[in-house]
Amino acid sequence: MINATDISRVYRMGLVEVHALSGVSFDIGKGEFVGIVGASGSGKSTLLHILGLLDLPTSGFLSINGIDVSAMNDDERTEFRLNNLGYVFQDYALVQELTVLENVSLPAMMRGTPRDEYLHKSEELLNQVGLIHRMHHRQYELSGGEQQRVAIARSLINSPTLLFADEPCANLDTKSSRNILELFQKLNAELSQTIIMVTHEEWHEAYMCRVLVLTDGKVADQRACKR
Amino acid sequence: MKFQKISVALFLAGKSIQRGNRFTFILTVTIMALVFVNLVFLPSIISGVVVNFNTQSIDYSFGNLIIEPREKQVVITNVYSLKRKLDQIPEVIGSSPRTQIGATYRYKDNTQSGPLIALSPKSDMEVTKIGTKVKEGYFLEDTDTDSIVLGTTLTGNQDSRLDKSDSLGGPQVGERISVTFSNGVTRDLVVKGILDSGVYNVDLAGYVTTREMEQVLGVKDEASSILVKMRENGKEEYYKNLLMQYGVQEKVRTYKEKAGGFVNDAVTAFEIINTISTGVSLVIATVVTFIVIFINTVNKRRQIGILKAIGINKRVIVYSYVLQVLVIATCGTILGLALAGLLVMYLNINPLIFPGGAVYPVVEPGPFIRSTISLYLVSIISGFIPSYNTANEPILEAIRGPA
Ligand SMILES: Nc1ncnc2c1ncn2[C@@H]1O[C@H](COP(=O)(O)OP(=O)(O)OP(=O)(O)O)[C@@H](O)[C@H]1O
Ligand SMILES: [Mg+2]
Repeated sequence: MINATDISRVYRMGLVEVHALSGVSFDIGKGEFVGIVGASGSGKSTLLHILGLLDLPTSGFLSINGIDVSAMNDDERTEFRLNNLGYVFQDYALVQELTVLENVSLPAMMRGTPRDEYLHKSEELLNQVGLIHRMHHRQYELSGGEQQRVAIARSLINSPTLLFADEPCANLDTKSSRNILELFQKLNAELSQTIIMVTHEEWHEAYMCRVLVLTDGKVADQRACKR
Repeated sequence: MKFQKISVALFLAGKSIQRGNRFTFILTVTIMALVFVNLVFLPSIISGVVVNFNTQSIDYSFGNLIIEPREKQVVITNVYSLKRKLDQIPEVIGSSPRTQIGATYRYKDNTQSGPLIALSPKSDMEVTKIGTKVKEGYFLEDTDTDSIVLGTTLTGNQDSRLDKSDSLGGPQVGERISVTFSNGVTRDLVVKGILDSGVYNVDLAGYVTTREMEQVLGVKDEASSILVKMRENGKEEYYKNLLMQYGVQEKVRTYKEKAGGFVNDAVTAFEIINTISTGVSLVIATVVTFIVIFINTVNKRRQIGILKAIGINKRVIVYSYVLQVLVIATCGTILGLALAGLLVMYLNINPLIFPGGAVYPVVEPGPFIRSTISLYLVSIISGFIPSYNTANEPILEAIRGPA
């Protein structure tokens, strides 16, 4: 499903170079629920951005579903994100001018899903993340955790083959976190949804199949989880 | 796919206008409206001045063409036969022989020098409109002698502070003033009427009948000029040739040539001012519109990044911004039209008073079309450039970067 080979990402700021990732390689198969853990600044978000086609590696090779994504142009990547990927940003990234429901529906609208269908699906997802009663609210009326859950609902609207989530439970209490993790686990189990999730909570690992440990931009360890 | 793109772009544009910053929207629309008014207003006043000058010159001063004495001659002789010849030309509406001399007017203690014009009222009414502009008393009739019609500026007021220039101090209709003709003969004439045409030179003269002038000067069948009114305004050059083809051997000049230096220069100057001002307004309009819309769009950098990140095609994003800007431009143009309309209405009720008379704004489609097109063009460009740039930026930079 995902094949990453020798991925590096260097940020250049004037004369200073930051090696956010240096030579990361791994494979992720269909239906896996993989965690990415590591200290703050170890490159977790950077890696997820690259996997989610939001950023380009400085060097290395990446294929998703057997497609060499590094060969795609900008429009093809956008199209690919729309049709195949779901992404939960660490900072939610909701569209300010849209309501909760519109935020969740937008990617489906863009795909040409019939209105009835996407409205139904959006409401169902909002129900699952516990925000159905807030669907006509705007981003600024929501708490951080609520915005995070909207972002999760939005990431799932087009039934992505790959779901990326960058600390999706960062702002949630244990109960809501468990809720989200159970939702992920259910998607993973019932629909073989492939999920790659950044986390720094050890107890989250109980929901996952495997964990990649990043240290200073390198995969320091990989371990299977006990589920 | 095409339809979907447009419908998503419409959706995003609509929500953005509906939920975006009201104040920014109103400000942008207002600025565009003012820019529009600015682009339209001065040209309409200047067109008004030009139109005013032309019609005033034709209607009150010169007719379309002025026939003047031949080379080396001081007067036109055989005026009656020349007039008959002119009146037979189908395009000629009327012709009015006039004799103009310098005269000295005296009323009580006031003495004024000024032009004295002799005309045949009946003929002159076929050419000029001065006969309709008598504000007190009556205009002359062909058989009148012993009578004079005075221009209002020459007449003046008893209270000299109300005068526009030196005057006779306000003789009334029915009173007598004494007039010394150029040959030294002085006559006491009854003021029959007071003429207020609004045209400076016209209101500065006195008017008597040809019969009166002929008696005083002892001449017959002479004139210093013949004013000719033609069927259509604006074809003077053609008519001038036409008259010469009909065998008129006297000098024929168009009203523009006659008005000559001063007024033509003024019109040319106004046209230059107009061109410069329109040019400058266009540049200002472009810059202001661009800045306002540009800043507005640049502020949406994060939004654009997010839209692209969740899979919205960048063309859709750019369309949505261009659509928003089109809505703004449309509102701006409509408001601008309304404001310009109000201003024009106001100026039609309260015209600007120029030395040549009252100037009404003349609304020509040219400046309107030009302004509308420029507003739209500028808006589209200023909506397009920043959204296009941002949509082509690396996504994470757009999402995280400043603004
Ligand atoms: N745009 C950027 N320019 C320069 N350096 C960057 C940029 N983005 C990230 N970095 C650097 O790259 C390194 C990895 O950052 P990254 O955001 O991937 O860390 P992270 O593991 O997600 O941390 P956290 O747990 O705090 O979210 C950090 O040292 C960070 O300072
Ligand atoms: Mg991070």
